[in-house]
Amino acid sequence: MLKATLRSFLAHKGRLLLSALAVVLSVAFVAGSLIFSDTVSRTFDRLFASSSADVTVTPREDLESSVPTGAVRTVPASLAGRLAGVEGVAAAHPDVEVGNITVVDSENESVGPTTGAPTLAVDWHVTERSVVELTSGRAPRGAGEAVLDADTADTKGVEIGDTLSVQAQPGTFRVEVVGIATFTTTNPGAALVFLDPAVAATEVLGSADRATGISLTAGPGVSDEQLKRRVTAELGAGAYEVRTAGETAETAAEELGGFLDVIKYVMLGFAGIAVLVGVFLIVNTFSMLIAQRTRELGLLRALGADRRQVRRSVLTEAVLLGVVGSTLGLAAGIGLAFGLIRLMSAFGMNLKTTEMVVGWATPVTAYAVGVGVTFVAAYLPARRAAGVSPMAALAAADTAGTGRPLRARAVTGSVVGALGTASLVGCVLAGETASAASLLGLGVVLTLIATVIAGPLLVRPVIRVLGSAFPALFGSVGRMSQRNALRNPRRTGATASALMVGLALVGGMSVASASMSRSFDEQIDRTLGADFVIQNANFLPFSQEVTDRVRDTEGVGLVVRQRFAPVAVRLPDGERVETTAAGYDDRVDDVARVTYAAGDTAAALADGNISMDAGFAAEHGVRMGSTVPVEFPGGRSTELTVAALTDLEGGEGFGMQGGLVFGIATVEEYVPGGQDSALYVNAADGTGVDDLRDRLDAALDPYPQVQARDQADYKELVRDQIAVLLYLVYALLGLAIIIAVLGVVNTLALSVVERTREIGLLRAIGLSRRQLRRMIRLESVVIAVFGAVLGLALGLVWGLCIQQVLALQGMTALAIPWGTVVAVVVGSAVVGIAAALLPALRASRMNVLEAIAHE
Amino acid sequence: MSTPAAEHAPGLTSADGIAARARGLTKAYGSGETTVLALDSVDVDIARGRFTAVMGPSGSGKSTLMHCLAGLDTVSAGQVWLGDTEITGLKDRELTRLRRDRIGFMFQSFNLVPTLNARENITLPMDIAGRKPDEQWLDRVIDTLGLRDRLGHRPAQLSGGQQQRVACARALASRPELIFADEPTGNLDSRAGLEVLGFLREAVDSLQQTVVMVTHDPGAAAHSDLVLFLADGRIVDEMRQPTAESVLERMKRFDVIRAPSDDGGGDDGGDGPAGPATSGED
Repeated sequence: MLKATLRSFLAHKGRLLLSALAVVLSVAFVAGSLIFSDTVSRTFDRLFASSSADVTVTPREDLESSVPTGAVRTVPASLAGRLAGVEGVAAAHPDVEVGNITVVDSENESVGPTTGAPTLAVDWHVTERSVVELTSGRAPRGAGEAVLDADTADTKGVEIGDTLSVQAQPGTFRVEVVGIATFTTTNPGAALVFLDPAVAATEVLGSADRATGISLTAGPGVSDEQLKRRVTAELGAGAYEVRTAGETAETAAEELGGFLDVIKYVMLGFAGIAVLVGVFLIVNTFSMLIAQRTRELGLLRALGADRRQVRRSVLTEAVLLGVVGSTLGLAAGIGLAFGLIRLMSAFGMNLKTTEMVVGWATPVTAYAVGVGVTFVAAYLPARRAAGVSPMAALAAADTAGTGRPLRARAVTGSVVGALGTASLVGCVLAGETASAASLLGLGVVLTLIATVIAGPLLVRPVIRVLGSAFPALFGSVGRMSQRNALRNPRRTGATASALMVGLALVGGMSVASASMSRSFDEQIDRTLGADFVIQNANFLPFSQEVTDRVRDTEGVGLVVRQRFAPVAVRLPDGERVETTAAGYDDRVDDVARVTYAAGDTAAALADGNISMDAGFAAEHGVRMGSTVPVEFPGGRSTELTVAALTDLEGGEGFGMQGGLVFGIATVEEYVPGGQDSALYVNAADGTGVDDLRDRLDAALDPYPQVQARDQADYKELVRDQIAVLLYLVYALLGLAIIIAVLGVVNTLALSVVERTREIGLLRAIGLSRRQLRRMIRLESVVIAVFGAVLGLALGLVWGLCIQQVLALQGMTALAIPWGTVVAVVVGSAVVGIAAALLPALRASRMNVLEAIAHE
Repeated sequence: MSTPAAEHAPGLTSADGIAARARGLTKAYGSGETTVLALDSVDVDIARGRFTAVMGPSGSGKSTLMHCLAGLDTVSAGQVWLGDTEITGLKDRELTRLRRDRIGFMFQSFNLVPTLNARENITLPMDIAGRKPDEQWLDRVIDTLGLRDRLGHRPAQLSGGQQQRVACARALASRPELIFADEPTGNLDSRAGLEVLGFLREAVDSLQQTVVMVTHDPGAAAHSDLVLFLADGRIVDEMRQPTAESVLERMKRFDVIRAPSDDGGGDDGGDGPAGPATSGED
């Protein structure tokens, strides 16, 4: 029996190849993401472990904010002297390392990374732990000199002798590049500017007595843990963060981990899509192989093979396919990881492909996924094969069978579909985000399953409509295409399912993102009154000079600054909420439209006052006139009086829970050294908006990090942020489509083989090769468009439901991107044509006589 | 009943209306020492308005001859004309068009496209060509074949005999110059077979069509006007106004002639003495 199985596996290797490809793709993504993240974490663990000082003392970390404020937390530099006296400390060095700077070259072009990685100003302090070494030039001496990292120098074309401008919080200063330093380990992608330690603190922190941390070297025989205990004893618990080298490395790795997790989840998302779509392909292939081999299986049964043997034979074939696919997928995964590592290098993160890590978990997971998926997908077809009666061997071979009745599918599909619909309706009716979201998830999964099950039932009605124009447009060729697609609804349905899954996802996501875009547009229209918003594209704060420059620009009438402050408020109901508050200059009403439930802007921004969202206030028992204790970073705190309640619709977005707003003076007082995050600018009377834009652009030329945007530009910026999400979805779609195309190719190729005699007959009575190709192409197109229509219909329903959930978050607008919908339908037709290329070519190359004589 | 006159070679006709013609038609399979000659320099004329049957033992080349005359197969040497058109050397596209517009086909089985109903199958060659069928003619063909009440049926809903009648109707529908029928009764019971043969006869007699039928059934051949006998890739004899008995007699002689080379004894149990070689041969 095993021999028969192997023979059959080899005999169908061409057909199985396409299924194997689906396995290869999913395994490749799983393995690739594992290898990539293993490699990256190993590399960085090593980097952080080797570069961390024995013990580091840094400012106490409280009130971490998700919104950057631009303020740098420091420790007194004199702390180094005090700690040097602690027993067991061999050396203490005050570190300077800040990321709130912008460095531009003589043409006002930023030399920072374009990838979002920071530009850091660091003191030039060479120890055996340094991650860089000077490779040309010399170390910086005194003010006005700097060393630049080699990768940045290379990509931005900076050479020794060039002058750079460093825009730091205390002010901009110019430095001459006197040396280039090269990373001895992996460069994590940041741009580094090294300054003389003697002046670094003054230049970037504004005072010689400040440092961002103290690095301690343990004396001989003193362990890191011992040293940490002694330092903590000297400083007192809770005043500073004291970490051993190991802990520092761990913290750093954790911070980086967040970014790496994103890549990992994206990759796993791709793997998931590949698996999901691949399952359809595998189920379909095995079903078709078994349908083709009905007589052969019947013969086996007639010769005495029992059901279990037949089932096992099919499953063995599946496992073989899984093993082959997983092996190839593992190899492809290594290639994928290699490519990713090279890609990261292109973005400035210089990982070494030679240090690729393939942990034991990678092959285990790869084979588990590959073999598991194939086995599960082949199980139903295998059961069906086992059900073949010995009589089948004697029955006449039917021509391109039409499959069994679909009643069971109708029942199951309706039940699951009803449950799914009920969940979606529940989601729409739900009033709370959490329950709505979980109902949405359930509904999406159930309706997807229902559509997959019921797909074959929809084939007849939908394709009758879709293909109704074919006979008129393409004559009998069109008629035959349409009817060929209808021949085996089960097969057509399963083939289209693969495409449907991907397109449903895209349909839903594009409705959601279009609705989000429109909601933001409307919100901007409603609330933004300023002529211009001056802001960093990444929403990062910028230096004071920008604000000064804007204020001094001719024709600027009003400038309202916006600053953020991480806060913790203790509310009357006893809850302590950590969030981010915004501070504004007085005349906010002139640049924004805020609706107040109580109080007004003047009261809200007055000294000692605070305003918050009316809903949030009600929830926590806050009333007008309540006094709330507010904590700021660094242990500062005050009590503020609630003087206004706002009516915010999207109040809970962006880590800004509660919609806390106060005067900018409060931020300046309690978050010293903070930077402005946005400037709202109105033109002075008599100055045209276009004139002002030109002047602002000119004034901001030396500050490439910020741009002046009017309402339209601002909307564009927000839309671009949402679009990133969409690009990811499109990439997922691309993968899904590739696999779906394989499925369509597979089905068509099989249909062509099954219909060999029919094709021979058609050719004999005068169907030209071109007409034959067109017939197969049209069939392919109608299958693909069927999948697209089903997928989009499902996706649009999902999109509507997602929008209802978003509406609970204040994003009330609904937008259906009809352009995308039409493009997807047209695109799916193109996909159909592409999928038909090979099967059509093969059909048209058939020898007419051999085809007629084909058994 | 009589063997043909010796003055003309078998297969050639003196009639002025010639529907198809081959000269020196040779078809070889394989190459070098393993070459097999399926047709060995065959000269043949197919008379217009007649029902010609091609007979011969298995492997005699009768199907190959039909395929070459119909432009389904390429020839190794020689020339083939359909009417005045030389079809040897035509490209696939021209051959396809020729088959579509000027030739009708009936095969032993699987004659119909399963997704199309009877009427759609009948008009398929014209639909493919994008031509409107001649409705009057079509009506006549449909009525002659008694298919009027079956037009909306799919092939799966028709009996074997009905399917062959639909195939016959399709072959006739575009009023082709020539209809090739390859063992059209091979898969039918005798009653349905007789019916189909009757229709082919009718097509020639009342509809003035030209039919070439390949068969190995002497009873089927008896419906024709002229039987051409093939053996080892050559036309070795012809018979006018055949009857089942005379054709069978003639066929038996092949067995006897072939018997010595077949290691003694034909399947027919040794009956049929070695008759005198007819003048038609050699």
